[in-house]
Amino acid sequence: MKPLRIALTKGRLEKATVELLERIGLDCSSLREKGRRLILPVGDGSLEAVLAKAPDVITYVEHGVCDLGVVGKDTIMEQGSRFFEILDLGFGRCGFALAVPKGVNFFEGYEGKTVASKYPNVSRRFFESRQMDVRIIKIEGSVELAPLLGLADGIVDIVETGATLKENGLEIAERISDISARLIVNSASMKLRKDEIEALAGSLEQAIREKV
Amino acid sequence: MKTYSNLTPEGTRDILFEQCRAQRKVQSRLSQVFSLRGYQEVMTPGLEYYDVFRLPGAAIPQQEMYKTTDNHGRLLVFRPDSTLPIARMAASRLQGRPKPLRLYYHQNVYRNRPDFSGRNDEAVQMGIELLGAGGLRADLEAITLAVSAMASCTQEFRLELGHARFSSALLNRLPLSSQQKEEIRATIEAKNYAALSELLDPLGDSPEVEAVKRLPRLFGGEEALEEAEAFCTDEETSQVLQYLKRLYGALRQLGLGEKLMVDLGLVQRNDYYTGIVFSAYVHNRGDAVLLGGRYDSLYGLFQCPMPAVGFGADLEALAALLPEEVKKQQVSLTVVHGEPGFEPEAQRLVSHLTDEGQMCEASLFDTLEEVKSYARAVKAEKLLAVGEEVREVEF
Repeated sequence: MKPLRIALTKGRLEKATVELLERIGLDCSSLREKGRRLILPVGDGSLEAVLAKAPDVITYVEHGVCDLGVVGKDTIMEQGSRFFEILDLGFGRCGFALAVPKGVNFFEGYEGKTVASKYPNVSRRFFESRQMDVRIIKIEGSVELAPLLGLADGIVDIVETGATLKENGLEIAERISDISARLIVNSASMKLRKDEIEALAGSLEQAIREKV
Repeated sequence: MKTYSNLTPEGTRDILFEQCRAQRKVQSRLSQVFSLRGYQEVMTPGLEYYDVFRLPGAAIPQQEMYKTTDNHGRLLVFRPDSTLPIARMAASRLQGRPKPLRLYYHQNVYRNRPDFSGRNDEAVQMGIELLGAGGLRADLEAITLAVSAMASCTQEFRLELGHARFSSALLNRLPLSSQQKEEIRATIEAKNYAALSELLDPLGDSPEVEAVKRLPRLFGGEEALEEAEAFCTDEETSQVLQYLKRLYGALRQLGLGEKLMVDLGLVQRNDYYTGIVFSAYVHNRGDAVLLGGRYDSLYGLFQCPMPAVGFGADLEALAALLPEEVKKQQVSLTVVHGEPGFEPEAQRLVSHLTDEGQMCEASLFDTLEEVKSYARAVKAEKLLAVGEEVREVEF
């Protein structure tokens, strides 16, 4: 049988994912010392990992070239989902929020509002659920800059501690949703390799519960 | 100005040689399977009125349809699905025919997909519609046919069975608003166990809540049907489950045991399903390659109520399953060159050879040297030169 292939999000979530895999007894030395290899064997050979940027993890899983993936809920919410999201891994916790210049009531008045965000889909859905017409501008870098420059009335962004917001004279107007890392599974893989996937998800779930 | 004269639109592509052959092969195998079982082919227009696909309970998301207008400004769409146009057709033109009606189709469908998703906006689908018959016999017939269609291409596939009414019956027992129901439906569809628990926790502990919590995990082999038994405390879910068990048993008798799976957590993928739903999966393909189910209320929307079941398969996905040697051209090629003045004789020889079933090309070159190099390039088997007599030429 081919090994199950899992796509891991590089960067912020990578370390916590490797630690979790090690806690369930999988040898992750190849992930710790990657070298030049792109597909890395994990554990006893029943699992192999690739490292990818968060949106690519979703792409690989949706197309079924990876059976599983570890990715943040933020990316899932922005990219949409045609896969199974079977486990909340508990790490990488933060949240989406609408932030506005301190003291301003965003929801007041009849003038059309403008919001800057790295997450245009999340923003659009949020305002649609409020039945609000809001102009959304996609920004790639530090979104906090947009209200300071007068481009936007507010921002929709990931908020961890709120320190960056405060430094820039912004405050949270409303929390939109909580975010954490998720285990996602391709829908065909889930059907064709149920036992292996459920065994892996089961031991991950147990490891998460034991730590808490 | 930038021109796109040498490109195909995003989401479309040219299909050449081996892939064409493979698709035609699959098409002829499936046509054979369908027509021998009494299904007759129908074709519907490539353009339909938008309204056909906007019926309550059977709507296709409007952003997914390619639209245009006719010269009265009426909204048209490029056929996004075959089941609805066939329903329109059967409801208007086949009303008086004896039931059941057995129809099959082979046609393209168009969907406007997001950019850069590896999108396939134009897909060739082949499938059947079995109209005017409900119940076990009809469901069994449709599934058996789906299995034969798959088996004509590969033995390596799994067939999954579910029922559109199972999860909705369980959900309907809970005191929920339609908004909450929709949220719960989405989490069951995504098998998002954690979010589902979160949504259900406020409802407290009850056997009904417990059952919905287990829903996304109720898939796999026959054991999933056994496990579901415990949750079927009302009439509707027990009926559905008993029905699935009978169907499963019948399919096992047909020797399909190891290919079968069930998923009771299948929430309606498409609004129009009312009974069984089934799909086929193959390895190395991230999506189901065949989808089908029962839609008994669909024909009512076209003022011609009757039960209906059907499925459609993605022809390109099936073609990819054929072994390489099937896709390759296996016949050998003869090139016939007429020397100057003997062109009609060369054409006559070509006709003679092709009448015998040989593959044969007439040379369109002026000199024998050019023909030889052409014959080498296309890996011809034989080169014949026609003059006063016919001789075979080495090349």
